[in-house]
Amino acid sequence: MKRRLFFIVFILLFASGGVVRAGEKAATAKGPDLLSDDYTAEEKSSEVASYDPLEPMNRVFFTINDKLYFWVVKPVKKGYAAVLPEGIRQCFQNFFDNVSSPVSFVNNLFQGRFEDAGVVLSRFVINTTLGVYGFGDPALVSFNLTPRPADFGETLGVYGFGEGVYLFWPFLGPSNIRDTVGLTADVYAHPVTYLNWTLEQEGGYYIFSKINAQSLSPDVYEDVKKFSFDPYVAIRQAYFEHRQGKIEKQKQ
Amino acid sequence: MKTKHIFCMYLWTVLLVFALAASSQAAKGPTETIKPVLVDLTSLLNNPGLQGDAHRDERRQKIMSTIKSGFDFQEMCKRVLGKTWQEITPADRTYFTELMTKLLENVYIGKLEDYHYQTIEYVDEKVQDDRAQVTTVVCKDDVKLPVNYVLQLTPAGWMVYDINIEGVSLVRNYMEQFRSILRTDSFQGLIKIIEDKNKSFAGASKAS
Repeated sequence: MKRRLFFIVFILLFASGGVVRAGEKAATAKGPDLLSDDYTAEEKSSEVASYDPLEPMNRVFFTINDKLYFWVVKPVKKGYAAVLPEGIRQCFQNFFDNVSSPVSFVNNLFQGRFEDAGVVLSRFVINTTLGVYGFGDPALVSFNLTPRPADFGETLGVYGFGEGVYLFWPFLGPSNIRDTVGLTADVYAHPVTYLNWTLEQEGGYYIFSKINAQSLSPDVYEDVKKFSFDPYVAIRQAYFEHRQGKIEKQKQ
Repeated sequence: MKTKHIFCMYLWTVLLVFALAASSQAAKGPTETIKPVLVDLTSLLNNPGLQGDAHRDERRQKIMSTIKSGFDFQEMCKRVLGKTWQEITPADRTYFTELMTKLLENVYIGKLEDYHYQTIEYVDEKVQDDRAQVTTVVCKDDVKLPVNYVLQLTPAGWMVYDINIEGVSLVRNYMEQFRSILRTDSFQGLIKIIEDKNKSFAGASKAS
């Protein structure tokens, strides 16, 4: 049970990092619909902002994560990035992304995105063979196949589930009931679940993948803190809109 | 007699030129409005003569005047404040707009300055009554970032009032933050908070 729980936590972190990164790579063919909302609606409605009745608790966890970032994550990722060149870190990132392919594959199928599921499968086959166990990404470089990430939280959203209540998890960051359920389900599609690893091995895999991803992405969190008046609200709103945007795009 | 004829011709020509100019102004669509602004911006950012800390003030001034030709800061502020905008005096509105313009300058030009060597693809355009959106993809190396501009048709042509990056709206984000602050604080309290934020950038740039 403890092991299972740990793994859920692991997948949550892993997937949330992967989602943002892959999103940066994938280009949108068509623009989203941004004109239906002209910001003149006076009251907060469930369509434009998160429902956050647990705000006091969430804010405590937010403060914990803030300290964790500046005291642990930031120094570790800086040291790590200083030791390993970016090219090698990118290879590790490709490997982690490739291993998590089944999650995207299954969810693309669930959402009826058969073409995207095919691309995920092709990418997996090409990168595992030509890309040498997924360390390279020849599927993107030589075949121009962009990543097609999908997760179960998104799948639930496509089928009409609302986000429920906003949650800010310690260690994991922004989420909500729908996406927490979704990421818990995604554990079952992740290959590492079936490797019979010990807790330490899973922990190592998780921490390594997380630090590696952090070392490659720009310091988004620090920017948000610098540019906002209430980083907690800024992140809550950004998370809501980012997830909503992805779901709306798949519904179109 | 002949002079009168020539004068008439002259008058007609002038009128025609004005009419043409006016119609081309009106026909300029959302994408055509944004494109030159972004092209100018990119060339300013890539101009070697303007790079480095020594040229910081000159560069920022030029960037801001370019941005102001395509961005409507007052419209942005009106939407950011929502209901509160109706309750404050015109003087407060002007001051608030000034503060927010300064804030966005601090926030986004700092970020833009990291982003030279980029290309911008124009992917899509949607027009709905007097509002429009232009979808672009900013490419840097193999990273592609979808950036959407939301515009409104004003007497001066199409003007941007919101930027949406990866589904996240700039206006909506500040709007929710201000709404949260205004629930416990007065408008003057909010002004104070923005003033402090702007001061924090001034301090940081001197220190670095």
